[in-house]
Order: sequence, then structure tokens, then C-alpha cells
Amino acid sequence: MDFTISTYAWIIPLFPFVSFLILLVLGRQMKGIASTISIFAMLLATVSALLLLGETLKNEAQSYTSSVFNWLDIGDFSISFGYEVNNVNVLMLVIVTVVSLLVNVFSKGYMADDERMTVFYSYISLFTFSMLMLVISDNILQLYIFWELVGLCSFLLIGFWYQKKEAKAAAKKAFIVTRIGDIGLFIAVILLFWYMPEHMLSFTAIHNAFETNAHGFSDGMVTLVALLIFVGAVGKSGQFPLHTWLPDAMEGPTPISALIHAATMVAAGVFLVAKTYDIFLASETALLIVGTVGAFTALFAALIAIAQNDIKRILAYSTVSQLGYMMLALGLGTMAAYSAAMLHLFTHAFFKALLFLGAGSIIYALHHEQNILKMGGIGKSMKVTTWTFAIGTLALAGIFPLSGFWSKDAILAQAYEHQPVFFAAALIGVFLTAFYMSRLFFLVFTGDNRSGHTPKESPWVMTLPLIILAVLAVCAGWVAIPGIGTFNEWLVGETMEEKIHWSILIISNVVALLGIGLGYKMFRNKTASSLHEQSGNGLQTVLARKFYIDELYDLIVVKPVRGLGAFLQLWDEFIVGGLVKGSITTTRQIGKMGMRLQSGQMQVYALISVIGMLILLLIFAGRRLI
Amino acid sequence: MLESLPLLSLILFSPLIGVLILLFVPKHKRKPLQTIAILTTLIPLVLGAMLLLQFDGVNSSVQMEEELKWIQPLTYFNYHFAYQLGVDGISLPLILLTAFIATAAAFASVFIKKRWKLFFILLLLLETGIFGVFMARDLLLFFIFFEFTLVPMFFLIGIWGEKRRERAANYYLIYNGLGSAIMFIVFMMLIFTVGYDISTSSYTSSFDVIKSNALDPSVFKFDFEELKTWMFVLLLIAFGIKLPMFPFHTWVVKVHREAPPAVVMIHSGILLKMGAYGLIRFGYEIFPEQAVEWATVLAVIGVINFLYGALLALMQNELRSILAYSSISHMGIVLMGLAAGNALGMQGAVFQLISHGLISALLFLIVGSIAERTRTTALPELGGLAQRMPFLSGVFLFAGLASLGLPALSGFVAEFMSFAGLFEQMPVLAAIGSIGIVLAAVYMLRAVLAITFGNLHAQHQSLKDVRMMEAIPMVALTAVIIVLGVYPALLTSIVEQGMAFYVMVKGG
Repeated sequence: MDFTISTYAWIIPLFPFVSFLILLVLGRQMKGIASTISIFAMLLATVSALLLLGETLKNEAQSYTSSVFNWLDIGDFSISFGYEVNNVNVLMLVIVTVVSLLVNVFSKGYMADDERMTVFYSYISLFTFSMLMLVISDNILQLYIFWELVGLCSFLLIGFWYQKKEAKAAAKKAFIVTRIGDIGLFIAVILLFWYMPEHMLSFTAIHNAFETNAHGFSDGMVTLVALLIFVGAVGKSGQFPLHTWLPDAMEGPTPISALIHAATMVAAGVFLVAKTYDIFLASETALLIVGTVGAFTALFAALIAIAQNDIKRILAYSTVSQLGYMMLALGLGTMAAYSAAMLHLFTHAFFKALLFLGAGSIIYALHHEQNILKMGGIGKSMKVTTWTFAIGTLALAGIFPLSGFWSKDAILAQAYEHQPVFFAAALIGVFLTAFYMSRLFFLVFTGDNRSGHTPKESPWVMTLPLIILAVLAVCAGWVAIPGIGTFNEWLVGETMEEKIHWSILIISNVVALLGIGLGYKMFRNKTASSLHEQSGNGLQTVLARKFYIDELYDLIVVKPVRGLGAFLQLWDEFIVGGLVKGSITTTRQIGKMGMRLQSGQMQVYALISVIGMLILLLIFAGRRLI
Repeated sequence: MLESLPLLSLILFSPLIGVLILLFVPKHKRKPLQTIAILTTLIPLVLGAMLLLQFDGVNSSVQMEEELKWIQPLTYFNYHFAYQLGVDGISLPLILLTAFIATAAAFASVFIKKRWKLFFILLLLLETGIFGVFMARDLLLFFIFFEFTLVPMFFLIGIWGEKRRERAANYYLIYNGLGSAIMFIVFMMLIFTVGYDISTSSYTSSFDVIKSNALDPSVFKFDFEELKTWMFVLLLIAFGIKLPMFPFHTWVVKVHREAPPAVVMIHSGILLKMGAYGLIRFGYEIFPEQAVEWATVLAVIGVINFLYGALLALMQNELRSILAYSSISHMGIVLMGLAAGNALGMQGAVFQLISHGLISALLFLIVGSIAERTRTTALPELGGLAQRMPFLSGVFLFAGLASLGLPALSGFVAEFMSFAGLFEQMPVLAAIGSIGIVLAAVYMLRAVLAITFGNLHAQHQSLKDVRMMEAIPMVALTAVIIVLGVYPALLTSIVEQGMAFYVMVKGG
């Protein structure tokens, strides 16, 4: 084993952190330098991560952990912070650094006109630092800390255009909704703390304890802890029923949507479940719930995506849906499915970042128009964007031989073997995915130009990341071609027998092509007038209003809390306050009765003390006498 | 040489040097008055740093003890009073906090627009009083200092406050007077029951004597046990008023709303902590068994505080009121940690005292900056301040995040420790309480975003960002909040020393 580079893994997050500090000090000045500093830092981080990957590929699956300092010492136990390098972590490091680097480059063009560019880059740097730290955390409490910090950065970046009312509301919603989930994780961490042998919270310890059943949990508690962790994951990864923040988060700048709300942070929920997978494996119930929530979300979000008209929101619901696929896979409870989930996380990061950046390129060209009904005909003038977007669309739809095909197929195959219901859901999801993406693609790129702007291709700083991501969106899945790629063995560290389900390969492709075909038939070459015809029937309205989930929450959560607050407000004012006023008046009356010398409050107060002392002396005198 | 200095007395009385100097400065000369006040507050800060260096975290006894028997035994009562000071791991952080926040408040006095001389004199007198509270190792001495803080505070609210300042000052006095009276009763009871010092054959109010006698009442002929519960509950009420504990919190809201921001920094930052400190020092240390018996009650009140304060904070439309209820809410965490009674919870409670002190001082510094510029703290009248005041808005967001318990900042550590502590003992209550963590995010973000995000009101177009005098304490407070959040062991290693007593009693 050669761990030379692994021992220096902690340096990787430091690059963006230093960049953050520099930009923080720079303040609003030096717009030009800001992006250079941040990009350069990310370049170093990416190169380091790739070097680390190189080393990991040479080693057999083994992890290197190192604890750096004692965060808390309480009595006879302590919580230490450190970092861990294993194959799953390295995979995430590569995803995060690569996507972050490309987004950094892309933003140089996209945010060029923004006067707060330095602030923007400092937030991105802080985010990347936190995300990398989250990934290499060696224990769950440390992960939780950075889990919250990435949430903070997400909040800051959603609300980046803080003057906008919608951005403000969306930022707040994102923070609060994910925090509801975070409470689950928070409690899970505390329960682990109390029940784990010697209060150890490291992932290695959790793995060992649950593998050998050497923990203090009863079966019910295992399920509870697993589900609490999952609640955290549900919040972060936008799974039903905490998915509502993610589509709203699209108020943030588009590069941010690509980085945070597609490729990295939202995948942290999946990563978390994967990191604590041994706990889930110990509870059938928990696994079933994870899988069910995932399958349901995959379908549910895909349905909503069909009826949305905002290009970013469609992609956001698509992200929710794809994360559902990953959860579905994790819910199957086999190592092959686990590996499939991580593979999908890996490929999805690239093609979804590609789609978002592509959308960014379009939005940039159309002066911040986001409604696909008002786009159209862009294909002629933006060649690079169009072709790369097409690749992203096909990869997402799961068309052979693009990356999304391999990962989605791995999930389908596992579902087919273990849970036919999930398989059915996933297959319908494939059709819906292909359909909404094809709707989006043909409405945006073909037909009449309905935007009122003349789009022209974005500058090279924006198209270069698109091209690189397109290459990755094509090839990333090849690492796991059954029989050729060794992704699974590398990730899990054990060889597993792989059956190749030819029938599923073919069926999923046919289904996806059907979806695309239907979209092509319905939405190709639309003119401005032909779009008005298809305005809503009942189902379409329900989908367009996202199943009225936001309205429902307003009714069952927000309003009751407000009502309770209003009631307590009155209570505090009249009952508590009233009692107080009453007792004060009484005291004053006693004071007045007792003495005629009340020229101010000081006397009242002095009086109370004196009376108290007298009573006391009487008591004791009395006791003594008896 | 250095070791032989009576460091505690020096810290205690050093603010009075400033008072003496201030007496000779003409009252209209604002600059020199303020400079002297700030410099004076730096003395205890520096001495406090020395105290920290000399403090021995491993040795579990009370340290730096100073004793001066200055009252001759009264022949009739046969009573001994001694000027006795000392620090342990609980009081040391609070002393440092006091020195630090007093300095910050002296900086924040730029917001004071009249009668500077009297203001600074009262501020420094108040500082001495607070030091005394945290240092006293004698019941009567503690009581004297505790009362002593009421007077300058009364005038600070009453003279420099907002429109309804006098009402607030009266509320302050009546509530605290009531608390003090109850405390005094219990102290007297203690002195006359377990205050008999065998070595001097006289009654004493020395804390150490009373504590050791109380823990070993076999020395006494009469029945002390039955009184213990009463005394503990009375102390709980006496210090609960100060804390503040539901339903004794009304006065705190009034003071937060009416007192000048520089004074609220001290009030919310330190004075409230005297309640919790008293509860730990006298309630827990003298009556550990009762504390265990009453833990559930304490936890329930703690959870009520936490949720009730949060829900009411959510309903307010004015920043100071939001922060007032937020303080009430956050003191609930202290109660929960104390109720847990294990090492983690107890230390979490003390950590929360320090953390909340820093955060609320920072928040009220910001309130001062906003109110001075816009003449309002009402949410509907504010908005978009980030456009004209990016620095202030950034610090405000930071303070809000710290307050809602964002990890890597001090508030999270306290919250984590207290909740973790309570989860071991009373998981259901702790789980109910954890709803408050979400509510904290809701009301805090609502306040911060309403003020800094959105569109700037027309009349605020010409606002200027903070000046140096405000930026210095802001940056200093921010830095400490981060340091404690990133490396909490720095503080817990000290606090642990002071907690040894309780965990030992409870364990054995």
C-alpha cells in the first residue's frame, strides 16, 4: 500500500479555503482577479484530487484515516476531527473538484456583468471547501458540521441576488426546509454518540460495529437511527416530502444550480446514506422505506417536470427524480445496487451539470429569459450549446452508449432482480424522463424563435466547460461497462458476479426512445401560435401546480404555527403579563399599607428585602424557641 | 512575584480607577471620556488574560483564593463575615466574558448621545459589580454584589433608554428585587442552618463552609433535609427570574426593548448569565440531590422556554423584541443542559452561557448601528440595507447564523452538548425541544433577511456603513465566536474543571 498522497489529502480542501479567505479580504474590489484566484485554486485542487485518484487506483480498496485534533474533550471521552481517504471519498472528491472547476470557469463569463463578482467567487470557494471537507470527514459529527456549512453556502448563493423578492424567499425556504431534515441527522448523531461503543463516531467504527453487531442498539433503535439519518438525506437531496425547496432554489445564478443543486450538494444525501450504509443494511424496514421514498420521488418529480415551463425548474425536478433513482438503488440493500447508486451519482453529476450550464448559456444569450415557451429556434445560432445540450439530454434519458445509460441500467437491473415494483416505477420513470427532456429540447432548440432576442453563441469560457462536460457525459459511464469496466470492484472492494440483463438493456433503451419520440412528435418545430392550443386540462393543472404540495404545507404547517404563535402572543401579553401586573399592583398595595413613605420604586424594593429578612428572622427565632 | 498579586481583587476594582479619573474630566468632553472608559475596560481584560494563564485546569479546587476577614465577629449572633474571592472553571469564563463584553460595550457607547460622563461611570460601576458576583466565595458578599449591579443598571435603563424607559427600569427593579428578596431568604436560612463553622465556633456565610456542611448535615442536631427542597425551589425561582425562566420573562423583553443597545449588550450578554451562574453555584453545588430530583421539572421548563421564546420571536415585527424572545429561547438551552445533569449537558449549559453572551452582545451592537442610522428597528420600515451597508449586513447575517446554531460557530457547540446531554436522560423531551432548532432558523432568518435583503427604502439611500469604532468590537466578537465554534476544547477544558463537583456527586 502506498499512501503518500493520501496523507496529504487534507490539502485539497485548503485550496478553495485559501481562495475564500483572500476574496473575503479583497472585499468588492478587483473583480478581474477574483475569478482568477478562485479558478487557480480549483485547478490546484482538481489536479491534487486526480493525483489522489491515481494513487487510489493502484491500491486495493483500503482506507487511510488520520485524526487531526481533539474537537471536544468531555470527561473520559473525546470527539476528534480528521480525514479519511477511501475509494468512495476519492470518487466524490473528483466529482466535486472537476465540476467546481468547470463551474468556476463558466461563471467568469456568466457573471461578467455582476458587480458583486468577488462575493460570488468567495461563496463558491467557501462552498467547495465545505463540500470537500464533508466528503473527507472521518466521522459523522464532522460530516454534519460541513453538511450544514454547504447548506449555508447554498442559502447564500440562492439569495445571491438579494434584492429580488423571490430569491430572498427561496433562500429562506431552502435553509429552513433542509434544516427540518437536518434535525433528523442531528438526533441520529446524538443517538450514535450514546450507543456506539466508547462513543466513537467515526465511519470506520460505525462500519465495524454494525458489521459485527457490536453496538448498543436494539433492532427498533437501529431502524430509528437509520431513518433519522435518512430524514437528513431526504432534506438535502430533495426527496419527497422535503423536495419543495430545490425547484425554488433555481432563483440562484445558474452556474450555482449546476454546481450545488445538481452535481454536488444535493447528492450529499445519497453520499450520507452510502457512508452509513451498514446501519441501513441492519434494518430491513429502513431499506424498504429508503427504496420506496426513492422510487416514489423518481416518478413524482418526473411527472411534475412534464408540466413545467421554466427551463431550470424542469431540470431541478429532473434532479429530484434522478436522486430518487439513487435512493431507490440504495434501498435495494445489495452491494451491487449500492455501487449502481454511486455510479449514477457519478454520471449524473456530469450530465446534469452539463444540462444546467447549457441552460445557463441559453439564458445568458436570451437576456435571462427562462420560459421554454418563449424560446425556440436556438439550434441555428448556438451550435456548441445545442450539441452539448443534446448529448446531455440523451445521457439523462439513458440512451446507449452514453454515461447515463450504464448507470441507469445498473439500477434497473438490480431493481429487476430484487424489487419488481421498484423496477416498474423506474421503468416508467425512464419514459417520463425521456419525454420531458425531449419536450424541453424541441421547444428550446427547434421551431420559431419566440424570445424576441437574437441569440448568439456564448464566449469560450462558457462553451469550453460545456464541451468538457459533454465528453464526460459520454464517457463517464464506461468505467462500469459490464465485463469491461471495473468500477464496482474498485468501489466496493470485492468482486461480484455480474449478470448482464440483455433484455433490460434493450427494453430501457426502447422505452427511452419512445419517450423521446413522443416529445419529438408533440413539440418539434412549434410556432408561437401553435403553443397556445395546448393549454391545460385538469391533470395538467395539477402537475403544473406541483400537486399542490406547497399549498398543502402552508395549510398544515405554516398556518397552524402562525396561529399558535398568535395565540401565545396574546397569552404572553394578557395572561403572563396580566399576572405580573396584578402581582406588582398587589405588592405596591402592601407597600402602601405597610408604610407611608413611598416616594419612589427604590423604597418598594428596599421594603421587600426588609420584609423578607424580618419573616426570615421570625421563622428562625420561632424554630429556636421550640 | 506575579503569582503573589491579588489578581482577583485587581480585576474586581480596576474599573473603579476609571471612575476616579472620569470624575475629574469635564462632562461635555465626549472624546476623552470615552477614551478613558475604553482604556479602563482594557485593564481587566489584560488582567483576565493573566488570570487565564495562571489558571490550572487540572487542579479541581477553587483557585486564586483571597480572603480578608474584615468584620469582627458580632458577639450576639456570633457571626463571621469574610471578604472571600476565588475562581473555578465555571466563573473564570464568565469573568473573561464580562471583561470582554464590557470593552465591547464601551466601544458601542458611540451610540450614546447625552450625559456621557455619568454613563461611563455607571458602566464601570456595573462592571465591578458583575465581577464581584462571579468572584465572591461568600454568600453575603455575593448578595451585596448582586444587589450592587441593580443600581447602575436601573439608571442606565432609565436615563438613556427609549421612550418607555422608565417603565422598563421599574419593571427591572421590581422583578429583580423580588428575586433578590427570595435569594436573601434562602441565604439566611442557609447561614442559620448549615453556616456553623466548627473550626472558628461561629456562624459564617462562607460558601465553602456552607457547602461542605450542607453536603454532610450529620454534623447538625436539627433536621435540615426537609428544608432542602424548599430552599432549592426558592433558589430556582430567585435565579429563574434573572435567567429568565418562563413565566418570569416579561421584564427581560421590556429591558431588551427599551434599554440603550450598549447596555443591552451587557444585560443580555452578561447580567442574565448571573441567574444561571447562581443556579449552578448555589442550587446545584449545595443541593445536588434536589437538582437531580427536580431535573424533569427543569427540563420541562427549559423546553418551554426554548419553544415559547422561539414561537413568540416569530411573531414579533420589531428587531429588539425578536432578539429578546430569542434570548429567552436560548436560555432554555441552558436549563435543558443543566437538567441533563451529565458532564456533557452541564458543560453545554455553561458553554451556552458564554456563547449566547458573545452572540447577543454582537447582535445588540448591530441593533445599535442600525437604530442610530435609521432611527427604527421595526422590520416593515427596514429592508435592503445590504446595498448601502454591506459590512454591517454581513456581520448581521453572521450573528444571526451563530444565533440559530450554525455549526463551526460557538452556538452549535453549546446546542449540541446540551441536547446530547438531555437525549441521554430524557430523550422524549429532548426530541420535542429539537423543534426549536428549526424555529430558531425561521425567526432569525426572517429578521436578518427582512432587514438586509430586498429593496432599500427611499429614505435610507444615503446610509453609511459602520465606522471603525463599531467595526472593532464587531470583528473581535466575530472572531471569538468562530474560534470557540471551531475549537471548543479551548473552553470546555476550563469548564470541565468547575464541573467536577457535580458529576462526582451525581455519579457517586
